[in-house]
Amino acid sequence: MKEFKPLPALPAPKDTVGMGVWVKQNLFPNLVNSMMTVLIAGFLISVVPGVIDWAIISADWSGTSQLDCKKDGACWVFVSAWMQQFIYGSYPDEQLWRINLALVVLVLVIAAPNVLQKELRNKLGVPMFLLYPFVCAAFLDGRMFSLEYVSTDYWGGFSLNVFLAAASIIIAFPLSFLWALGRRSDMPFVRSVCLILIEFFRGVPVLALFFMGSVMLPLFFPTGTSVDKLLRVWIVLILFMSGYMAEVFRGGFQAIPQGQYEAADSLGLSYWQKTLLIIFPQVIKVSMPNILATFVMLFKNTTFLLIIGIFEMLSTTQTALSNSNWLGGHATEGYLFVALVFWCCCFSMSMISNSIERKLDTGHKN
Amino acid sequence: MSSEQISPTSEPKENVIEISGLNKWYGSFHVLKDINLSVKKGERIVVCGPSGSGKSTMIRCINRLEEFQRGSLIVNGVEMIEDVKNIEAIRREVGMVFQHFNLFPHLTILENLTLGPIWVQKKPKQEAEQMAMKYLERVKIPDQALKFPGQLSGGQQQRVAIARSLCMSPQIMLFDEPTSALDPEMIKEVLDVMVELADDGMTMICVTHEMGFAKKVADRVIFMDAGEIVEENEPNEFFNNPQMDRTQLFLSQILEH
Amino acid sequence: MSTELQKPRSFFNNPRNRALIYQILLLLGLGYFLFSIVSNVLANMEARGIKSGFGFLFTTAGFDILMSLIPYDATHSYGRTFLVGLLNTILVSVIGIVLATIIGFVLGIAYFSKNWLVRKFSIIYVEIFRNIPLLLQVFFWYFAVLAALPAARESISIGEAVFLNVRGLFIPALVGEAGANVIYLAAIVAVVIVIYLTKQSKKKQDETGAQFPIGRVALLILLGLPIIATLTMGTPFHFDYPILGRFSLSGGTTIIPELMALSVALSVYCGAFIAEAVRAGIQAVPHGQTEAARSIGLKERKIMTLIIVPQAMRVIAPLLNSEYQSLVKNSTLATAIGYPDLFTVFVGTSLNQTGQAIEIVFMTMAVYFVINMTISFLMNLFNAKVALSERK
Repeated sequence: MKEFKPLPALPAPKDTVGMGVWVKQNLFPNLVNSMMTVLIAGFLISVVPGVIDWAIISADWSGTSQLDCKKDGACWVFVSAWMQQFIYGSYPDEQLWRINLALVVLVLVIAAPNVLQKELRNKLGVPMFLLYPFVCAAFLDGRMFSLEYVSTDYWGGFSLNVFLAAASIIIAFPLSFLWALGRRSDMPFVRSVCLILIEFFRGVPVLALFFMGSVMLPLFFPTGTSVDKLLRVWIVLILFMSGYMAEVFRGGFQAIPQGQYEAADSLGLSYWQKTLLIIFPQVIKVSMPNILATFVMLFKNTTFLLIIGIFEMLSTTQTALSNSNWLGGHATEGYLFVALVFWCCCFSMSMISNSIERKLDTGHKN
Repeated sequence: MSSEQISPTSEPKENVIEISGLNKWYGSFHVLKDINLSVKKGERIVVCGPSGSGKSTMIRCINRLEEFQRGSLIVNGVEMIEDVKNIEAIRREVGMVFQHFNLFPHLTILENLTLGPIWVQKKPKQEAEQMAMKYLERVKIPDQALKFPGQLSGGQQQRVAIARSLCMSPQIMLFDEPTSALDPEMIKEVLDVMVELADDGMTMICVTHEMGFAKKVADRVIFMDAGEIVEENEPNEFFNNPQMDRTQLFLSQILEH
Repeated sequence: MSTELQKPRSFFNNPRNRALIYQILLLLGLGYFLFSIVSNVLANMEARGIKSGFGFLFTTAGFDILMSLIPYDATHSYGRTFLVGLLNTILVSVIGIVLATIIGFVLGIAYFSKNWLVRKFSIIYVEIFRNIPLLLQVFFWYFAVLAALPAARESISIGEAVFLNVRGLFIPALVGEAGANVIYLAAIVAVVIVIYLTKQSKKKQDETGAQFPIGRVALLILLGLPIIATLTMGTPFHFDYPILGRFSLSGGTTIIPELMALSVALSVYCGAFIAEAVRAGIQAVPHGQTEAARSIGLKERKIMTLIIVPQAMRVIAPLLNSEYQSLVKNSTLATAIGYPDLFTVFVGTSLNQTGQAIEIVFMTMAVYFVINMTISFLMNLFNAKVALSERK
C-alpha cells in the first residue's frame, strides 16, 4: 500500500484571472458586445458628469426664497423651503406633532405582529393593527380626543400618501381574505358574488373608481347627507385593494398542498377553525412577497388622487410649482424630489419582499 | 445474469479520447489538477470518487459543457479549441446522459428523440422517427412514444434520455451519475440498458457509485479525489488490491453496507 | 341493524340546509342594499334635476377635442365624442403595448448578456422605472421634458420634413394617389406567398431533412414585393410636408405632446414590468435543458427557439396578459395632462356638461371591460399556440 501524496493546489494561470481578464470577458468578449460597451460607456460619459454638475456641484443648497437660486444648477432651496408642505400638507404648524406621533405608532403597529410572542400577538398586536386606521383618523381629526379640530381639507403631503395606503391595506387585508374564501366556497351564490366583486374591482381603472367615489358615491347616500371626501377615497381604496389582494390570496390557497386541508378535516376542525388556525398562517407566509408587491402598487397609486383634488404629495408639488413666488422652471427639482422619496420607499419594500421570497424559496437554483 | 466480466474488445485500439495535463480553475479555485487520461475505442471506463472530487467536471469537459484553462483534450482526433464549429463537431460524436435526465418537457418522447437528428443531422422526419422507434424498442419502452416526459417514471425517463443520445449515433457515451436520482427499484432497468450498450462495443465513460456495474462492465476503474486521478486499474485489481491508501479508505467506505 | 342512522338530524345541522340559509340571507342582504342604493340614487337625481336615459348621446356636445382620428367638431353629438375618445384610447394603448413589449423583451434578454455593462443597465433601468409612480413619470415627460422644447419658430428639425417643438411632433403625412391601391395589394399578396412558402418549407423539411432559410426569404418577399410595386407604379403617393408659417406649422401630421408624453411614459413604465416578466420566464427554464440541448449538438440559436422560448413563454404569457390590461387601465391618466382619451372626453367633459354620471360611467367601464376581455382572449390564443404546454 503506497501512501498517496496529493498534488498541491496551484494558483490559476495569470492570463485567466485578474482585472484584465474580467474586463475582456465581461466587457469585450466579441465584436458586437464591444460595440455595445463603447456605446453605453459613451452615453454614460456624456450624460453623467453633466447631471452630477447640475444636481450637486452647481446647485444651490441653502436659502429661503427664489432670490437664493443664484447658480446655474438645481435649486434645492425650492425643495427645502416647501419641505413642510411636501410632508405634512397644510396641517397647522402647532399640530404637526400629531402626524409625527401617528407615523411612529404606525411603525410600531406594523412591527408588533412580527416581533411579539404568539399570545400577545393575537390578543394585542392584531387588534391594534386593525384598529389603527380608525384611531389614527380620529386622532388627526381631533374632535374625539378633544384636540383642535383639523378638517381633512388641510391634510396632505407625503404623510397623507402613507396614511391612506396603510389604512387601506389594513382594512383590505381581512376583507380580501373573506372575498378569497368566498370565491372558493361551495355555495354557488356566494362564489358568484365574490367573483363578480373581485373581477370588478380588479378590472376597472383605478381612476374610474376614484371618479365613481367622488361623483357617484354621494348619489348612493340619502339626500342631504354629505360624506367627507377623504373618507370616500378611503372606501374606494379599500375596495380596490381588496380586489387585487383577493387574487393574491387565491394563488396562496392554491399553493398550499391539498393534504393540509385534508389533515385539518380529518382532525375534526370546523370550517372556521381550519381556516384560521391552519390555512390562514400558511397562506400569509406563502403570499407575503405578492402582498408586498400589491401594497407597493397601491402606494404608487395614491398619487393618482391628485386628479380628484386630494392634496397628496404630488399635488402639493404642483401647487408649489405654480406659486407666484417660485415661478421659473423648478419642475425638474420638484418632480425629482418626489420621485426620489417614492423610489426610496418602493425600492426598500421590494428589497424586503425579495429577501422574504429568498427565505421561502427552497427550490432549485438554475 | 451471471456476474462474470464482459470481455474487452480485441480489435486494434486507437485512442478516441486523449486528455493530457488538463487543469481547470473556477476563479482561483483549482478544481482539476493535471488530469491525464487516454481512452481507446470500445473501452468502458468507470470513474468513482467522493463528491467534490471533480469527476463530473472532468467528463463535462469532454463535451465542452465546462471549459478548462490549461492542457489539451483531443476527441476522435479533433482537438478541443475555442472554436464554435470545432465544439459542435465534437459534441456530435459525444452523447451525454445526465443525472436529472433533462428531457424536454414540452415535447413528446418521440419528439425528444427526433429533435437532434432532424435539426442537427438534417434527416427527413420519417427516417428520424423510424430510428427513434428502433432505439425506444431497444430501451424497452416503445409504447411510451407519444407521451410526455412528465407522465413517465424516473427509470423510464432515464432510458428515454439514453435513447435520445443514441439517436445521434455517437462514438462515445458519457454518463454523469445516471442512477443517482432514481428510486432503488428503477436502478436495475437503467443499468441493464447500459450493460447491453457496453456489450455492443460502445466506448463509455461512466461516473457512478454503482460498484456492481463497475465490476461487471468496466475495462478500467478510475478513482478521483480532490481534483486529481489517484489511481486507475482494471476492476479486479482495483477492488481487491488497491495501490493507494486513499483508494483503500474510499473503498472501505462505500463497499461496507 | 342499528337505528342510529335514522335519527332525525337537526334542520340546521344539515350542511345543505345551512348553505341554503346562508345564501338566502346573503341574497336578502344584497337585495336590500341594492334597493336602498337605487332608491337613493333616483331621489338624488330628481332633487338635482338630472335627467336619466341614454338620450343625451344624440344631443350636441358643443366642445372641441384636441385631437381626433375621425372628423369631429363641436356640432357633433355626445355619442360622437364617445367614439373619438374610444379611438384615442385604443391608439395610445396600441402604441404603448407595442413599445413596452419591445423595450421589455430587449431589456429582459439583456439581463442574460455576457456584457457586464449591458446586464447592469438592464437591472438599473428596471429598478428605477418600476419604483416611481406612473403619474409622476407622465408629469416628468410632459411638464419637464416636452415643455422644455423650443417654440415653433426654433423647432428642432430634420431637413424640411420633421419638426419637433413645444406644440408637438410634425411629420410629413403620406397621401395615397391613384395607383396606391396596387401597393396595398402587393403587400397582401406578399403575406399570402410567405404563408404558403412557410408551409411548403416545413413539408420539405419533414420529407428530406433539408432546411430552407424561410426567415430571410420571408423578409425579402414582405419588403421586396411592395417596393417593386411602388417603383413600377411610379411611386403613387406624395408627402404632405409640414410648412413653417409665422407662428406654427400647418400641413403634415401632428403628434401632440400629450400623446407623446403619455405613450412614452406608459411604454417606459410597463416596459420595466415586462422586462421582469421576461427575465422570470427565462430563469424558470432549468439550466439542464440548455445543457442537454447542447450535448445533442444543437446550435445556440436553435436551442433558444426550440427549447428555451417555448418553456419561458409559459411563464411570460400570463404576465404579459396582465401587464397589457394594466397598461390600458393606466392610460386613463391621460386626464392629468389633457390627452383626449375616452376617460377625459367622456367621463370628464361630457359628464360635467350633462351630469348623467350613472350612464356615462357605466358605458365607460363597460368599454374598458370589453377591451380587457379582448386582450385576455387574444393572449390566450397566442399562449395556446406558442407556449406548447406540457401535459401532466
